[in-house]
Amino acid sequence: MGALLRVRAVAAKEFWVLLRQPQLLLLLLAGPVLIMVAFALSFEVDRAKPRAVVVVEPGSEGEELFERFQDRFTVRTRFQGTVQSVEQADQMLRNDETDAAIILPPDPSESVRRGEQAVLEVRYSSINPIYGTTVPNRANGLVLDLNQALVREGIARELEDAGTAREAIEDLDRQLARVNEAAESLATPEAQAATSELDSTLAELEQTLEVLALVESGEGEEDVDRSLEQTRQAREQLAELQEAQEGGAPSVKDRIGLTELEQQVGLLQEQVSEIPFDVPPRVLANPFRLDLENLAPYEPDALGFYTPATLALLIQHIALSLASLAIVRERLSGAYELFEVSPLGLGELLVGKFLTYAGLVFGVNLAVAAVLVGTLEVQVLGGFLRLAVAMMLLTLASLAAGFLLSTLSRSQLQAIQIAMLMFIASGFFAGFLFPLDQLGQPARSFAYLLPATYGIQALQDVMIRGQWPAWTDFLGFALIFAISLAVARHLMGRKKV
Amino acid sequence: MPVIQVKRLVRDFGPDRVLKGLDLTVEEGEIFGLIGPSGAGKSTLMRVLTGYLEPTEGEVAVFDRAPTTFVSADRRRIGFMPQSFVLYGGLSVRQNLNFVAGLYGLSFLRRRRRVRETLEFVELWDARRKTAARTSGGMQRRLQLAAAIVHEPALIFVDEPTANLDPILRRKFWDEFKLLRDNGHTIFVTTQYVGEAELCDRVGLLSNGRIIAAGTPDELRRQAFDGEVIELTLAGDPGHTGTQLEALENVGHVVEVREERDGDGPVSRARLVVDDADVVLPKVFETLNGADIRSADVLNPSFDEVFFRLVRNE
Repeated sequence: MGALLRVRAVAAKEFWVLLRQPQLLLLLLAGPVLIMVAFALSFEVDRAKPRAVVVVEPGSEGEELFERFQDRFTVRTRFQGTVQSVEQADQMLRNDETDAAIILPPDPSESVRRGEQAVLEVRYSSINPIYGTTVPNRANGLVLDLNQALVREGIARELEDAGTAREAIEDLDRQLARVNEAAESLATPEAQAATSELDSTLAELEQTLEVLALVESGEGEEDVDRSLEQTRQAREQLAELQEAQEGGAPSVKDRIGLTELEQQVGLLQEQVSEIPFDVPPRVLANPFRLDLENLAPYEPDALGFYTPATLALLIQHIALSLASLAIVRERLSGAYELFEVSPLGLGELLVGKFLTYAGLVFGVNLAVAAVLVGTLEVQVLGGFLRLAVAMMLLTLASLAAGFLLSTLSRSQLQAIQIAMLMFIASGFFAGFLFPLDQLGQPARSFAYLLPATYGIQALQDVMIRGQWPAWTDFLGFALIFAISLAVARHLMGRKKV
Repeated sequence: MPVIQVKRLVRDFGPDRVLKGLDLTVEEGEIFGLIGPSGAGKSTLMRVLTGYLEPTEGEVAVFDRAPTTFVSADRRRIGFMPQSFVLYGGLSVRQNLNFVAGLYGLSFLRRRRRVRETLEFVELWDARRKTAARTSGGMQRRLQLAAAIVHEPALIFVDEPTANLDPILRRKFWDEFKLLRDNGHTIFVTTQYVGEAELCDRVGLLSNGRIIAAGTPDELRRQAFDGEVIELTLAGDPGHTGTQLEALENVGHVVEVREERDGDGPVSRARLVVDDADVVLPKVFETLNGADIRSADVLNPSFDEVFFRLVRNE
C-alpha cells in the first residue's frame, strides 16, 4: 500500500511538473504533429523528376527527331523547353535553373550511316550520390525508349516495303514455274528474265527476313533464321542456274540445280508460312512485356511509406529526451538526496516517472496518429489496436533507454546531447534512410541497440502490411526495456562509497 | 536515551579524509546543534547519519540501526531538510508538500490534514496556491522545513536552515525548532552561525573533521574559559589597582587586564575566571574592600569568542 502511495506521489508530481511547463508541452504535443503535417504536405513525389531542357539545332534532323518523339522527353522529366545552344544549357545548369540538359545530335542518321551510334548527350550537375543518379537513370531510359521507337518504325516500314512474305513466296512459286517451263531452253531470253525476277524476289525476301531476324526472339526467332537460311541457299542455287544460263547451257541435262531449287523453294514456302507476319511491329520490337505482381497487401505512396519510420523516430526521440533528463535533473537539483533519505525506493521512483512519461508520450502518439489518419489520410491497415500496441512498446523501450542514459549523464546538457546523437544515429542506422540489410558491421549490430530499429519495422508491419509486428521486434523491445531498466536501477543504487 | 550514536567515524573522499574519528551522541527530545565553519564536514556527517553516504570506518547508529541498512519504517521516523531548496518551482506550495507527504506514504486523509497543519505551522497556508518559484527565499526554506516534518518524524535532520536568512527569519526558524522539540521531536541541526549555538540544548563543535567540544552552551563556555568569567572595572591609579588585582588570585584567575581612561580618569578592566561566579563574587568584593569598584558583572561571552577559544585551545 505504501509503495503504491509513493509511486502515485512520484507519478502525480511528474505529471504536474510537466503540465506546468507550457513551452515543453507545446514542443512535446504540437512539435511532432507539426513535423508530421509539414512532412506530409511538403513531400511531392513529382519533385523526384529532374527538370530538363533539350538542346536542338533549329532545322536539323535532331529537331525533327525531337518533335517526333517529344512525349518521350517530357514524360521522364519536368520538361522546361528547348534551347538552341549547349552554352545556354550549361549556364542554366550552373545557375541551378535546371537539373539536366539533353543535347540532341543535329544529324543522327549520318552517324548511323557511318556505322556509328548517334550520341544523345545528357549533362547534369549533382553532388548527391543517392538522388544524383536520377538524371543518369532517366537518361538511360530515354535512350532505350528512343531506340525502341525507331526500331518499331523501321520494322513497320520494312514490312510494308517488302509486302507480305506470303505474296513474295507466291510470286516465287509462279516465277519458278515459269523458269521450269522455260527450262527446255535455259538460254532463251524468257528463261533468263524469269530467273532474274526470281532472284529479285528472293533478294527482297531475304532483306525482310534479315530485319525480322534482328527483332524476333523466342520460338519465332528459329523460324525466321531457318527461313533466312533457306532463302540464302535458294539464292545460291539460283545463282548457279543463272551462271549456267549465261554459259549458254542449251538442254535439260544442263539445268543444274533446278530440281534442288524447286525443293528449296518448297521448303521455304513451308518455313515462311510459320512466320507470324501479322504480328504488329510494337510486339515485334518489344516481344516481352513486364507484368509485376507485388504480394504486399498495400503499396503505399512515398508519404505512406515514410510515415511509419518518421513516426517511430519521433516517438523514440520524445521518449528518450524526456526520460534522459528524469534522473540527472533530480540528482543535480538535490531532490535525489531527499528521495534517498525518504522511504521511496529507487524502483518506485523509476516506476512513478515511467507511468507519467509513458502516459504522456502515448497520448502524444495517439494525437499524432489521429492527425495522420484523420487529416492526412495515411493508411493504418493493421488497425488502431495493433498501432497502439506497437507505439506503446516503442515508447516503453525508448523511455527505458532514456532512463539509462539519464543515470549515466553527468549534466542535463550531456543528456540532451546524447539524446540528440541517438536521434541522428537512428536516422542513419535504424532503417529510416537506408534498409538495414545495406548496413555492414559493426553498424548493423549497433542498429539493433536502437529502439527505433524495431519501431520502424513494427510500425511498417502494422501500418503498411496490416499485420502484427514480428516476434523479433517484440523481443527487441523487451530486451532493450529490461536491460536498460536493470542497468539504470543498478547504477542508481550504487552508494557513494 | 540516545537517538544517535557515533563512534570513531571516519569518512574519506578519495585521498581526502573529511571526518577523522568523530564521536557523538544525541539524546532523544533535544535540539543538537552541530557548529563549525564551512568545509568542516557538517554536511558530510549529516549525509552519513541519514544513510546517503556510507562511513569509511567507525560505527554509526540511528535508532540503534546503521543508517545504510534502514528500511522504510526507519526512514519514516526521519525527516530531512537539505541545505538548499530542492523541491519543484513549477509546483504550488501545497502540491510540493503533498508530493513529499506521498513519498512518506501518508494516506489521503492523513495527508490532507497534515499538509494543512504543517503549512499553518510554518505560516505558509495563505501562500499554498503560489508556485514555489514565485515565493521568497525565506518561504522556500519554510516550505522545505514543512517537507521535513509533514510526516511527523521522531528525528529531524536540518542542514544549515538559516544560511543567508535575515535575523528575524532566523529567529523564527529557531522558534519553530523549539516548538518541535517541545512536541517531542529530536532535532539535529547544523549551522555555521556560531551564535545560534546558544539556541540549542546541546552543541557539538566540529573543526577539521573532529568534534572538539560537546555539551550545553554553558558547558562549552566554561570549557572555553576553564570556568565562569567575572568582569571588573576599577578606578584609580593603575599601579594601585594592579596591587589590588593581584590579591584576587586567591579567589580566582585573572586572565586579562586592560587600562583605559573614562571621563573621571584612569580605569582598569579585568577578567577573572572562577569556578562558580555566584559563590566567588561576594569574596571578590571582600578582597577588594576599599577599592573604587565601578562594576562587577558575571560575563556571558559571545559564542564567537567561545568558539574562537575552543578552536585555539585545540
